[in-house]
Amino acid sequence: MNLDAENSTQPTLQLWGEEKTDDSIYIIYLKKVRYHRPMKSISDSQDGISHLEWEKVRVKFIKAGTLEKLVESLTSDDGELESTYFNIFFTTYRTFATPEKVLTLILERYEKLVNNELDLSEEVTEQLKKSVVVAIRVWLDSYPDDFRDPPLHTTLQKLIFFAQHNLPDSELLVKAKHKFQRLTNENISVVTDGYSMFSGDTSLPFNAKGCHIVPYNLINISPTHFAEQLTRIDVELFKRVIPHQCLGAVWSRRDKSRSTEAATVLATISQFNAVSFRVMSTILMNSDSKPTERAKIISTWIDIAQELRILKNFSSLKAIISRLQSLPIYRLQKTWQLVPKEKVEIFNELARIFSEDNNQWFQRELLIREGTAKFADTAGENDRHLQKIIQRHKQNCGNISHGTVPYLGTFLTDLTMIDAANPDYLSGGLINFDKKRKEFEVLAQIKLLQGAANGYQIEEDVSFTRWFDSILILDDREADRLSYQIEPSNNNSCNNIDNGFSKTLKYRNHTKNDSIASNSSGSSYQFYYDYFTDSIHSSSHDSLHRINSFSQMSSSSSTSSVNSNNTSNQSASASATDTSPARSNFSPDSYIIRVTIETDLAETDGIVLYKSIMLNNNERTHQVIRNAMLKLGIQGNPENYTLSQILADKEFIIPHNTNVYYAINTSYDPNFIIRKKQSSTKEECQNNARKIENVLKVYVLT
Amino acid sequence: MSLVGNEGDITRYRLVVVGDGGVGKSAITIQYFQKLFVTNYDPTIEDSYIQHAVIDNELCILDVLDTAGQEEYSAMREQYMRSGDGFLIVYSVTDTQSFTHVVDFYNQVLRKFQKTLLLFSLRESFPVLLVANKVDLLHSRKISEEKGKETANTLGVEYIETSAKEPPLNIDAAFHKIVQIIRNHPVTRGIQQRQRQQQRQRKKLRKMLHCIIS
Repeated sequence: MNLDAENSTQPTLQLWGEEKTDDSIYIIYLKKVRYHRPMKSISDSQDGISHLEWEKVRVKFIKAGTLEKLVESLTSDDGELESTYFNIFFTTYRTFATPEKVLTLILERYEKLVNNELDLSEEVTEQLKKSVVVAIRVWLDSYPDDFRDPPLHTTLQKLIFFAQHNLPDSELLVKAKHKFQRLTNENISVVTDGYSMFSGDTSLPFNAKGCHIVPYNLINISPTHFAEQLTRIDVELFKRVIPHQCLGAVWSRRDKSRSTEAATVLATISQFNAVSFRVMSTILMNSDSKPTERAKIISTWIDIAQELRILKNFSSLKAIISRLQSLPIYRLQKTWQLVPKEKVEIFNELARIFSEDNNQWFQRELLIREGTAKFADTAGENDRHLQKIIQRHKQNCGNISHGTVPYLGTFLTDLTMIDAANPDYLSGGLINFDKKRKEFEVLAQIKLLQGAANGYQIEEDVSFTRWFDSILILDDREADRLSYQIEPSNNNSCNNIDNGFSKTLKYRNHTKNDSIASNSSGSSYQFYYDYFTDSIHSSSHDSLHRINSFSQMSSSSSTSSVNSNNTSNQSASASATDTSPARSNFSPDSYIIRVTIETDLAETDGIVLYKSIMLNNNERTHQVIRNAMLKLGIQGNPENYTLSQILADKEFIIPHNTNVYYAINTSYDPNFIIRKKQSSTKEECQNNARKIENVLKVYVLT
Repeated sequence: MSLVGNEGDITRYRLVVVGDGGVGKSAITIQYFQKLFVTNYDPTIEDSYIQHAVIDNELCILDVLDTAGQEEYSAMREQYMRSGDGFLIVYSVTDTQSFTHVVDFYNQVLRKFQKTLLLFSLRESFPVLLVANKVDLLHSRKISEEKGKETANTLGVEYIETSAKEPPLNIDAAFHKIVQIIRNHPVTRGIQQRQRQQQRQRKKLRKMLHCIIS
């Protein structure tokens, strides 16, 4: 699903380097180009001479630039519109510029072209003018919201003014005027019109409709119909999602008080939550009903979830699964025991889809495989039931195809992470366009799925919607209470603990003395002991061992103290013996460690020469080696050395790229030794050989 | 959904980063991981959030779950809380609301451990680290160190101040400290040992089966 052809690492593309100017940074690749139809060679001397079969050409992509430069890059050097770049730019630019600003720059460029200010050939100028107009037209078509800016629609007016002067008979002018007309009409009807969808009232509806008597009842609706109706709502909302609202800069950095900024994203989450809360309330409400009835409701939700899987609606599917896994529901053991075994197995198979293992690998794979496929056809190896269900479904209605509704949250996290990992601007204030390419890869997936979602054809059942909205919902606290009312905990002390804890939070002052240390009284050991001997059936030896470890923990103040010889640095030595986690503001924790280097001399003399260095809690191996080398007066590449802590009878080699502060064994003195790597000599030989080669080359050339 | 898992001899810790949206969770996670892949970061790759670390002379694997951006989905929190061995509860010192929500997150962790807690029948500590983030923003700071520590004390957890801005403060510390807390934690210790025992038994069984079949 990688739409970004530019970024795909084809074997023919080879990174060459960067090219920097004041207003841009380009990444240069070398691309192997094969000539299929060789042209006649310029020097048509001999027929037998072999022509060029392939050649390496330079391809450059803009990595960062000023806004002007980025707008300029919409067209190539020969005046063609760069379509991939165009897509990336217009999907993502709102994080670094306004529509008005971009339009202004495009129009300015056009006027420069008209006035021949750019010193280009006539042919290229003409092509450029054409491309610029196409760009504006496609922009207007693809991102109509950019030109909305109510109430005056200044951006659009600007465009109309431009077109009237420069392109009086163009399609662009017609389009722009038409659009303006529509927006003006919209202004009038906006009060009555459809924006209510996003006005925030879709969240947790608990409205007056609740008292209506509707003929629906969870158990009586066919799960297929239920799943279809949920999907219809999800599809509507998903198709309306404006992809760039998912961007980290918009979504995760937004001001929560302004609900409009990412309204289309919020709308999908509200629906997710609406489903999730209804799962909870339908199971927990009527706490006096029989366990069999409650089990029936859980089974029904599993049936609905299964249908959602067939429909490839991962949003509502996840809403149901995650709610069934939440504590107030999951803990109802007696109820779950009454759910048919097969249903529980199906539930487990469905839950596996959303396993967090390996960075949600399963879910990602599934989306890639089925995202734009016609129907669900992927079940895990161990998903016996799902395999059968999918198979059966295929046979029954093989030709009905539909789209996919993804769980948007995974995309939101990916985009949040990309946003956190990449700066918006590079040195010199250039806009980091590389970040936009990365973001576009995710947005392109969303767009692709939105396109595929058109495959769903589901009629609305109004009475369903009304009924669904009318289901009462519970908040988490209420749900907990009901859950414990339905199935009180087996352990009597449960409620005590529960209340006890909430008390500690409410009356903080009462608990101040109740520190962890005070828990290590004799009686608590007793409990501890009982628990482990009871539940693990382990040997008494083991239990004793654990008791020891526990007492160690309660007196942990001694565990991480390191003796430091150097008392000159007060703060460092103080922090080394203090175990309270926040030691000093703004100076990270540090130890004083002692380092030496392995040399033949030191060994013959029998004296080990140590030097003391500071070790901060954020220093990795190579940095510590570098510091040590500096102190010991050794020159060379830190990469060629290893660092080990000297323990009583052995040494501990600190691996590469490790945080040394945490890696060291604090029950020994912080004495370290650095050594030249054995293999490094080999590398160095190679390096030297290379150097010699280079020198030789220079000689040959001059 | 296992707790501390073992891969060979290397212990794997699932660390869950929680906290309100906008407190800089993602920045903390990225700051910790980016040291490894500065140039080409791709959040969608399988092992994006896995790192080897040596803590107290012991090699381990840190598997970090940070669902930044998904805070507003209901029931999700509980779901991923279930899979954690240790928790970083993050708040921003510039955002009072994020601080007040710390207790909610703590409660959720508590629920996860409730079963074991009941058996202990005492107010126990949990593998939780309270992370006060954005301490570089001196002027907009609203939650003082004292206040943060007081809450940490009330909850019986450790406290650390961090900043993910360059130069980062205590980022490695936060992730490594939580591992130390897990290691010293009696509940996980018990589970760890029980798991090892189960694994040993399973291996034995497999061996026996093997003998029978062959």
